[in-house]
Amino acid sequence: MKKNSGVSPGGGAGSDRGILPSLIEVNVLRFARLLRSGGIKISSSELIDALNALTKVSLLEKNELKIALQATLIKRASDLSFFNKSFEAFFASPEIRLEQQKKYHFKQENLARDKKEAEQVFTFRGEKLDLTDEEKIVYASLPDKEKCRMQDFLSMTEGRGTLDKSFRPFLESIVKGRLSFWYKNMAKELDEKLPRPSLGDRELDAIRDAVEAGFGSGGRDLLHEDMHKIAREDLPRAMELIRRMARLLVNKISRRYRYSKKRKKLDIRRTIRDNLQYGGALFKLRYKSRRQQKPQLVLICDVSGSMIRYTSFVLQFIYGLNSVVQQIESFIFSDRLEKVTAHFQRGKSFEATISELVAGSASWGGGTYLHRSLASLINRYGQELKKNTIVIIVSDTKTVRHRDAVQELSKLKSKVKEIIWFNTLPRQEWEDSVTVKTFSQIVEMHPCNTLSDLQKALYKLTG
Amino acid sequence: MNKAISADFLRKKFKEMGYICGEEVIITTYLALCLKKPILIEGPPGVGKTEMAKVLAGAFETELIRLQGYEGLDENKALYEWNYQRQLLQIQISKENRQPKELEEDLFSFAYLLERPLLKAIRTPYRVVLLIDEVDKCDEEFEAFLFEVLSDFQVSIPELGTIKAKHIPIVVLTSNSERELSDGLKRRCVYLYLDFPSIEREVEIIKAKVPQAGEKLTLEIARAINYIRSNPDIKKKPSIAETIDWARSLVALNSDRLQGSLVEATLNIFLKSQTDQLTFREQIGGEELVQKARMGVFK
Repeated sequence: MKKNSGVSPGGGAGSDRGILPSLIEVNVLRFARLLRSGGIKISSSELIDALNALTKVSLLEKNELKIALQATLIKRASDLSFFNKSFEAFFASPEIRLEQQKKYHFKQENLARDKKEAEQVFTFRGEKLDLTDEEKIVYASLPDKEKCRMQDFLSMTEGRGTLDKSFRPFLESIVKGRLSFWYKNMAKELDEKLPRPSLGDRELDAIRDAVEAGFGSGGRDLLHEDMHKIAREDLPRAMELIRRMARLLVNKISRRYRYSKKRKKLDIRRTIRDNLQYGGALFKLRYKSRRQQKPQLVLICDVSGSMIRYTSFVLQFIYGLNSVVQQIESFIFSDRLEKVTAHFQRGKSFEATISELVAGSASWGGGTYLHRSLASLINRYGQELKKNTIVIIVSDTKTVRHRDAVQELSKLKSKVKEIIWFNTLPRQEWEDSVTVKTFSQIVEMHPCNTLSDLQKALYKLTG
Repeated sequence: MNKAISADFLRKKFKEMGYICGEEVIITTYLALCLKKPILIEGPPGVGKTEMAKVLAGAFETELIRLQGYEGLDENKALYEWNYQRQLLQIQISKENRQPKELEEDLFSFAYLLERPLLKAIRTPYRVVLLIDEVDKCDEEFEAFLFEVLSDFQVSIPELGTIKAKHIPIVVLTSNSERELSDGLKRRCVYLYLDFPSIEREVEIIKAKVPQAGEKLTLEIARAINYIRSNPDIKKKPSIAETIDWARSLVALNSDRLQGSLVEATLNIFLKSQTDQLTFREQIGGEELVQKARMGVFK
């Protein structure tokens, strides 16, 4: 194994036996804090395991150190990529760490400048408006034209002598609304710029910034990317993830029950065992329920204009589900419902299936008439809807005549076992959406804007 | 089984047994053994997860006790069960001439106990390797029961009392990630993710398992399989065992290089589903695969 003596764990120079135990402990704890900031769950017992493991390997061998920490702290394949990047950034050479610190300080100075710039602009009658740090940074990141527009508006209100202090809350809400609009439009760009809550350790904050910057270029975490932004070259990886998740979903909903107190079928083995205490006389009978039929799946995907950005995900979701489960009826809808099951069951490649589907369908990018589509499902495909049917809907809920849609959704719910709704609308927009509020009263709705959302929803569904 | 545990020992033994792997596998296994923790191996099917348990048993010259996970697996099938038929027979035979108390004590003794894999692993008087295969297929209730057993390596049988392992078994759990395992179980394990091998490693594997295959054929097979695995539309990726089978088939057919027609004729050795074979023919084809395997330059 190649020696890498230039590497010391998280800032401490050390040799195998010379490192103070407390320094190793402190660095492992700091490293765990960095991993936790990336959403990795690490318990105290895992930390103890990591410390014990480090006594068994040579700390001067970077590879051994990495394997020991990985084996004890990481328990999910999807966390490996974040772990790898964090390890490289945390156990980097002093030169690289210095570079990380410099970049971090530079970023902090820029943020402070941005905040100051916003504070100078957002005043009313000589007093600063009550804006959050995030809002100030959003302002500083706006295109010059928009900045000028906001400044003009503020100077106009400032100039009007008739407006007294009571106008201030109103002005603040106008400004906040405008900034919120831009925040949504520039989400990706701002996401990299906005400061994260501090980890209480400036050096660690700098390392975390370096790790996250790594994810921003090339090694992005697909799980947390808005699904319509997933790049074409990342599609195979995304598709593999979707397939795995589809398998998780199918396993959950096909899980069957075993034993029951209901009198259905005699469980001879249990009966004999429980009656041994009565000398073998069959005094108490034990039953087992008949194995439940695997549920029938019906998948309905929205391919209307508002969902067009998510087409790629929707198609992969249908393809992924069809590739792991045989018995599934698939539909797409916009202004009308269209059955597409046959396209996905011919054992063709993804590209061939999609080309055929898109060429043969008129549904793409139309308006959303959920009520009409659901009515069509109930009336024309009623035979598919049974008491063991689970309906999966993938849609952003944006539809016309949503009250009619609610009625149809209720009708559908009464006919099937369960309706699961995967909503591609970002979670933060749910509060403002009437349709989300209304539909979620009837069906179980899960956010599905990123693959991570989908994964969380599936973990929730699979208990 | 009192072998001194060291990474070098594992490295040597794994190599002797033809299990070609990276340092990650060696060090993780070594740590699991040192910390006396189960090792949880996740990864796609066919990367050698189960094989590792077999190799460990071979390395320590001990018995491999296997528990196959499946939906519906419960304590009775995993831990122990009373031999009811035998107990009933004994009741009938002894009805007339034995005291009830004496009979009861006799009925609930080890003679009437059917040991299942977990109990067997705990009761064996030497250290064994316990393989709990495809643990993700078990129900969550069973998983909860399992991590209790794996924490203390002891089980309570109401009629007999607590049985504690004399030698803590080497436990290997495998999972294909079909279901997320509970945090409790994962916390108790050392974790290893096994992925498909790189071309270089697969060349080493083929050389170890099918030494008759020539240098060129070995390299072309490894490259071809790697190329097939990289195709997202191939649903069941060829496993390492299938790579070896393919190499053996090609050797049996006296070929020293890959040929397009030969690939087509032996396709069913490494692609076992009609859909995947169709995808292969539509998207890759024998000739193109041979070309890629010879050039060694992939997309």
